[in-house]
Amino acid sequence: MKHSSLAASIAERAIGEGLPLVFLLAWWLTARNMPDFILPGPVQTGETLLQLFIDPAFVGDTLISLARVVASVILAVILGGALAALARYVPSSAYAVQRRVLPVLNSFPSVGWAILATFWFQPDSGSVIFVETLILIPFCAIALTQGIADMDRELLEMGASFSRSGFKIAWKIALPMLLPYIMSSVRIAYGVGWKIALVSELFGVDHGLGYLMLRAEVIGNTAMVFASCFAIVIIFVAGEKLIIDPLARRFAVH
Amino acid sequence: MVRDDLERRRRRVATLFTLAVLAVWIVVGIVEPPYLLPGPGDVLERLGAFVIDPHMWVHAGASLLHVVVAVAGSILIGGCLALLAYYLPVFRLAVHGRISPFLNSFSGTGWVLLAVLWFGLGDFTVVFSLAMVLIPFAIINVRHGLDSLDPELIEMAKSFGHSDFKRFRLIILPALTPFLFSTMRSSFGVSWKALLTAELFGGDKGFGRLFNVARQNYDTPLVVTVIVIIVVAVYASDRYLFEPAQARLSAHYEAL
Repeated sequence: MKHSSLAASIAERAIGEGLPLVFLLAWWLTARNMPDFILPGPVQTGETLLQLFIDPAFVGDTLISLARVVASVILAVILGGALAALARYVPSSAYAVQRRVLPVLNSFPSVGWAILATFWFQPDSGSVIFVETLILIPFCAIALTQGIADMDRELLEMGASFSRSGFKIAWKIALPMLLPYIMSSVRIAYGVGWKIALVSELFGVDHGLGYLMLRAEVIGNTAMVFASCFAIVIIFVAGEKLIIDPLARRFAVH
Repeated sequence: MVRDDLERRRRRVATLFTLAVLAVWIVVGIVEPPYLLPGPGDVLERLGAFVIDPHMWVHAGASLLHVVVAVAGSILIGGCLALLAYYLPVFRLAVHGRISPFLNSFSGTGWVLLAVLWFGLGDFTVVFSLAMVLIPFAIINVRHGLDSLDPELIEMAKSFGHSDFKRFRLIILPALTPFLFSTMRSSFGVSWKALLTAELFGGDKGFGRLFNVARQNYDTPLVVTVIVIIVVAVYASDRYLFEPAQARLSAHYEAL
């Protein structure tokens, strides 16, 4: 029994690890008979991907997209948290937030924001961050609403009996209780942020991975389109494993 | 009594908030030129023209069709992948550890641009790009459904000698129904967001196509009209169609 479960586990690992290799092999074989603008090979795509991280001509685009996503996530957590707090601590505003602001923001198409932003602002990092933040706010607000609802009221009351300073209670008691939810909203916003980052960079701006990808598509540089997508996957996974996961573990509820 | 009072105040504040937003919109619409922000009157007028123009219904129908086909296709493909990992556990790591995370982190816009290069402009490009965005949602939801199956029920079915197919049809599929419905509900909401990008770059008809034309002509009233239609359609379908249907479905399955 033990032997068969070990064999099954080895087989599962072999198929799991082998799948990317089979995929790469199939890609390489298919690409050999295709023009580059239809399907570039994995080697060519890998070289282009490397350029995005080491070539000074492209690394700026990669970094600026990263900076925009990080700025948007921070702003969305702050604004989403403010909306969640407003709905909780000014009870009469709850329906305005939960039944008006959030459903509209949640169902507003991201490309709609992107196009309106091109009409309203000069296309630059500010307009991209504006679009990304508005898209991310509902995700953060929903996670933080749950966090505020789950806070231990007795602990807050005990804090209030020891100190009259609202700031001290918020900083020393409420914030630590909210940290797991803040990390959860950061995680969600970071994931969604990378998915919609490209949309907001497609119109007007002249830097960023979205801009690079659209330009590459126009001139038929499919390797760059692939490379931009893979760059996002790599940055997304790296950010999650190297920053978000350790922070989430540090702030997890024990 | 106190609760009724709070409820009334909440409703009043929400109504006041809506009216305040409308008032600000009217003022900004008067002050600013229509290409920056058309007022609610302009948008209402455009909405009326939209409704009586049969050409616009073709675009609306095309968008709805794209969404329906992509949602159905993604549930079918994602569901099959999740079932593959369930029935043949050796594929678990491949499906849940490789395919699902990869598709989940791959940019939707990337799929659109690649699909345009591979298939050109058209319905298939839009449906393909949408389905690739939605498949991971289906895999994750169906997996949750399969994980929550009652093992004792499956054991009982085995002890009655039911074949795999009969077990699937009589036990697993009914148990999965609420999860499939919730997949459909969330996919429907997400797909409208992704749809516009897909149609804008890869479609020859649909709301995204209208967006593209409006953007090039600085036709902001049309952009806002399409946004209003989508926001209202997504909100109303979720609140008045999917939410009650899901509540009824949950009540039905809890009663079983």
